[in-house]
Amino acid sequence: MNDCQNAVIRDQLPDLLHDRLDASSRSAVQSHVASCTDCRRELELLRGVHGILLARTPHVDTAWVVGALPRAPQRAARPLPHWRAWSDWRIAAAVAVLAVGGGSMAVLHRTSATPSTTPVVAGAPQTPAGGIGAGRSITPSAAAVPVSTVATGGESGSGLTMTGRLEDLSDDQLQALLDQVGNLQALPVTEPDPVAIQVESTNGVSPEGL
Amino acid sequence: MQSMNDAVRGGDDQLDSELIARWKSGDERAATALVERHAPALARFAVASGARTDVDELVQDTFVRAFHSLDGFRGESSFRTWLFTIERRLLLDRRRAEKRRRDRTEIKEDDAATEYDALDAVVADETQQKMRDAIRQLSPTQRDVFTLRVAEGLSYKEIAEAVGTTEGAARVHYHNAMRAVKEFLDE
Repeated sequence: MNDCQNAVIRDQLPDLLHDRLDASSRSAVQSHVASCTDCRRELELLRGVHGILLARTPHVDTAWVVGALPRAPQRAARPLPHWRAWSDWRIAAAVAVLAVGGGSMAVLHRTSATPSTTPVVAGAPQTPAGGIGAGRSITPSAAAVPVSTVATGGESGSGLTMTGRLEDLSDDQLQALLDQVGNLQALPVTEPDPVAIQVESTNGVSPEGL
Repeated sequence: MQSMNDAVRGGDDQLDSELIARWKSGDERAATALVERHAPALARFAVASGARTDVDELVQDTFVRAFHSLDGFRGESSFRTWLFTIERRLLLDRRRAEKRRRDRTEIKEDDAATEYDALDAVVADETQQKMRDAIRQLSPTQRDVFTLRVAEGLSYKEIAEAVGTTEGAARVHYHNAMRAVKEFLDE
């Protein structure tokens, strides 16, 4: 078996066998092979070898091979469905409001429960016991009005002490405060209860005649 | 001269790239698809290169190595060429190990004959048997180049990448192999 002198064509015979030539190259090679005995024999030889090698392809258990492969990298987190994201957002917002509101109320309670360190001078004019704002300036010292007295109907007893300004509070916080005011049992009074005095006559003379 | 059909080759490479991307994003089925696409060619190359036993294991090792270093695959060559490169290194390692073992162990003629007969039973035709013998008498490099060119249709450039040589050297190896096969068949 001789070799064709056209090395370019011989180089492309395997590509012709695998149908990997573009149209013009395939046409050129095919026309050459049609007129060249050496190339025709070489192409036949290539087909024979190719057939033998394909026939000898052993079966490979694909599943067994795949079973030994490393796992695919972890899939990236998928975006949540729209309704789920909306629901989660609402839950998060509710939790945030509760946390802020609850935290504020806890701070308010702690502040009101902590005695003021501001000393009160003995003998200084006192706000009437039970008056609004009485708790702030009262210390549990001997010179001051006893805390228990102040607390009765005072801020420390009601839990309505504020540390900030009203305009700093959110609507929810204001509403919570208003609700607490509405439920307050020991709201201090500014006007004394009317007192009815009955005077009984001991000598039969009516009081108006006295 | 543009001899290879770029559309065909490019389409294969594109599909491989898509499957690799899918596997990297967590799709296990993409690994199965890649194995199914390339395992037969790897098994064929292993047998043609002289692997007589444990071809399944060799193919599996090739894929395991490939998937473990898939981040290092930059797509400069085709995925199949890259697999051939890995498999050929494994084959060389195995040949060296077998050679060391043969040097230590006396080979029994009966065992070699049995192995040879079992393989040859697949090929009954005398002409085909002669072709097999012609391929077998090639040097390992000639046989690898010849197999990749004839059985798989790889270009010289791809063969050069797979066997670790230059494109020109791959061409020379192929033509020397072809001449040797012809001479063997003409005897």
